[in-house]
Amino acid sequence: MPLITNYFLALTLDFYILTQPLIVIPDKFLMILMIVRVRFHGRGGQGAKTASRILGTASFVEGMNVQDSPVYGAERRGAPVTAFTRISDSEILERGYVFDPDLLIVMDATLLASPVAKVTDGIRKKGAIFLNAQSANIIGEHYTLPSDVRIASYDLTSSAMEMLGKPIISSASAAAAARLVGLVKESSLEQAIVTELEEIGLSEEMIKKNVMLGRKIFSSLEPLELATEESEKKLRIVPLEMITSNDGLEDIIAVGNSKVAKTGSWRIFKPVVDYEKCTACTVCYAYCPESALILRQDGKPEIDYDNCKGCLICYRECPPKAINIEREVIAF
Amino acid sequence: MLMTGNMAAAWGARLGRADYIPAYPITPQTEIIETIAKWVRLGEMDAKLVQMESEHSMLTAAGAASLAGARVFTATSSQGLLYALEMLYNISGWRAPMMLINVARALAAPITLEPDHNDVLAARDTGFLQFHAETCQEVLDLILLAYRVAEDSSVLLPAIVNLDGFYLSFTREKVTLPSEQDVSTFLPDYNPPNPFRANMPVSKGATVLNGALYSYFKYHMHTSSIRALSVFEEAALQFERIFGRSYSPVEPYMMDDAEFVIVISNSFSTIAKQAVRRLRERGFPAGLLKLRMLRPFPSSLVARYLSARRGVAVFDQNISLGSGGIIYPEVVASLYHRRNRPQLLLPVIGGLGGKQITVEEMEKIFEAIKNEIGAESPDPIFLMRQEELETTKNMVRTAKEVQI
Ligand code: SF4
Ligand code: SF4
Repeated sequence: MPLITNYFLALTLDFYILTQPLIVIPDKFLMILMIVRVRFHGRGGQGAKTASRILGTASFVEGMNVQDSPVYGAERRGAPVTAFTRISDSEILERGYVFDPDLLIVMDATLLASPVAKVTDGIRKKGAIFLNAQSANIIGEHYTLPSDVRIASYDLTSSAMEMLGKPIISSASAAAAARLVGLVKESSLEQAIVTELEEIGLSEEMIKKNVMLGRKIFSSLEPLELATEESEKKLRIVPLEMITSNDGLEDIIAVGNSKVAKTGSWRIFKPVVDYEKCTACTVCYAYCPESALILRQDGKPEIDYDNCKGCLICYRECPPKAINIEREVIAF
Repeated sequence: MLMTGNMAAAWGARLGRADYIPAYPITPQTEIIETIAKWVRLGEMDAKLVQMESEHSMLTAAGAASLAGARVFTATSSQGLLYALEMLYNISGWRAPMMLINVARALAAPITLEPDHNDVLAARDTGFLQFHAETCQEVLDLILLAYRVAEDSSVLLPAIVNLDGFYLSFTREKVTLPSEQDVSTFLPDYNPPNPFRANMPVSKGATVLNGALYSYFKYHMHTSSIRALSVFEEAALQFERIFGRSYSPVEPYMMDDAEFVIVISNSFSTIAKQAVRRLRERGFPAGLLKLRMLRPFPSSLVARYLSARRGVAVFDQNISLGSGGIIYPEVVASLYHRRNRPQLLLPVIGGLGGKQITVEEMEKIFEAIKNEIGAESPDPIFLMRQEELETTKNMVRTAKEVQI
């Protein structure tokens, strides 16, 4: 049999996939195939996976076919998390990563800058992006958003802080998605929030608060009646060259990779040192898991905000409580 | 119900009335054991769950308990399976029909969490029967079927049911749960031959120190494994009568008049099916043959379905380094003596370490089959999209060149 060598088949013919309009409006009669693909982008700890499941369960309660799944690497707070919900009235012949979402739920707008998360990649023509932000316009000033899509926004995190006391927006994001897709009744959403939050062991009181939060978001948005179209895709399968150099070794030679990956963009809260109160005890310095605290000449810490990921361990450990916290991205 | 593949596997143990579950944690199978542990604690499942100190001990305990007559269920992934590998050969030699779930995860190094099939295929020569699932429903159903086949007195071999990490393990979809009553009709209690009993001494897996004896027993295992195919087919008929879902060792999809066919297994079959459907809409005669049973290898069925097709691609989500895909040569061997074998058998390797595959990539494979017909010896395709290679190269560069 042929060996895998450097002669991998080079299929250089670019080929374009036929454009098929996809109808997502629920009450059309001549609906051959209705499928809505929702992709959630969040950070570990925000509840992206639970959001995709609440939307999934709510749609399942409505009698739809559903598939939902998350992708994440090694689990850690702050790392980008992606989750998907596919909703259809027929068999779902899809699986894994949603490359071409009809609706994107951006749970943390700073992810728009992440080269890893690739948030807006593949969104379908006339699809929609929901931004967890006070104003989509401000986001638009900071990041480039694709054209030919609709944008909706709502500040879920502030509502969650207010109603739950925590920046966890699983129910809020699911509510936003459910409302925008327009296939789910409010009662089904509520049922799904209860089911999914019971599943992960939340207290009755917390579940109630989440239901209220879900209701609030649901009633604050309007369905989008999405009718998206497949974007033109260009696919090239590339030959792999025979590797002759160190490129084929897994070794990390360069130090300081976190200087490239600015983990500071993960923060929801940022620690701020109150130098009046600080006694230069260096406890924070010892505890910071990211070495994002650098000691100044006077022994007091200076925070490297490019790499501080906002875990707030320093805030919790500081003996005289000389570290305060401030909500990040409040400007959005 | 909506449930993950892991959850469906746990239901397989529960509905299959497994009564002994030795366990050792590894991602991405952990949810299976967590779920069973919860049921056992709440008294919803009548089974003994024991946390062992390694996968090797876990499998040793599993095999021994099976010989004592327990219905045994356990699960692992990746390195865990390899750590237990030595015991797999023992357990099949003991003729202990236990159930092992493998949640596929690519092997280290490099370390990753996502699936390919080098882990489960490392167990292909062990004597374990192997069934590979595409959907969460299949995970549950194949566990019930596999118990039935494994425990059949003409088979008596252990079984592995494979499901892909992430693509099934953490993916929720609709699963219909059969009733306990129907399952016990389909899968009666295990009736072990010569179980360990205090009042009836029996030795199992005795030392033979004799090549002829060894050969005899190995050959016996081999024929028992081959027999599992017809036992499966028979069991599947009854399964369909009771539960309404039909399973064969291979699943043809749009094969009736297909000229170009992809042979594939596991969860990526779904994406390939979508490609087939889209190509059909454009008038391209594509078809798909899914391998559901990997051991015994269903050679005659593969040959029957693939004969007289123009071109066939074999999609291997695994790699035997220095050779190529593992399934490819098995398909070639199945077809070699057929007079009307396809003109082309194209080897494709894709999805290693869970590399995502788009429907367009699957379509491209069909295009390649068509283009390569008539080629002297077709070059293997190693799927890698341009943007993936670019991202990879950037990461490699970052790892090597960045200086502070
Ligand atoms: S929050 Fe504090 S402990 Fe955490 S990374 Fe930032 S500086 Fe370090
Ligand atoms: S732990 Fe608090 S007091 Fe001590 S050095 Fe850090 S900021 Fe200052």
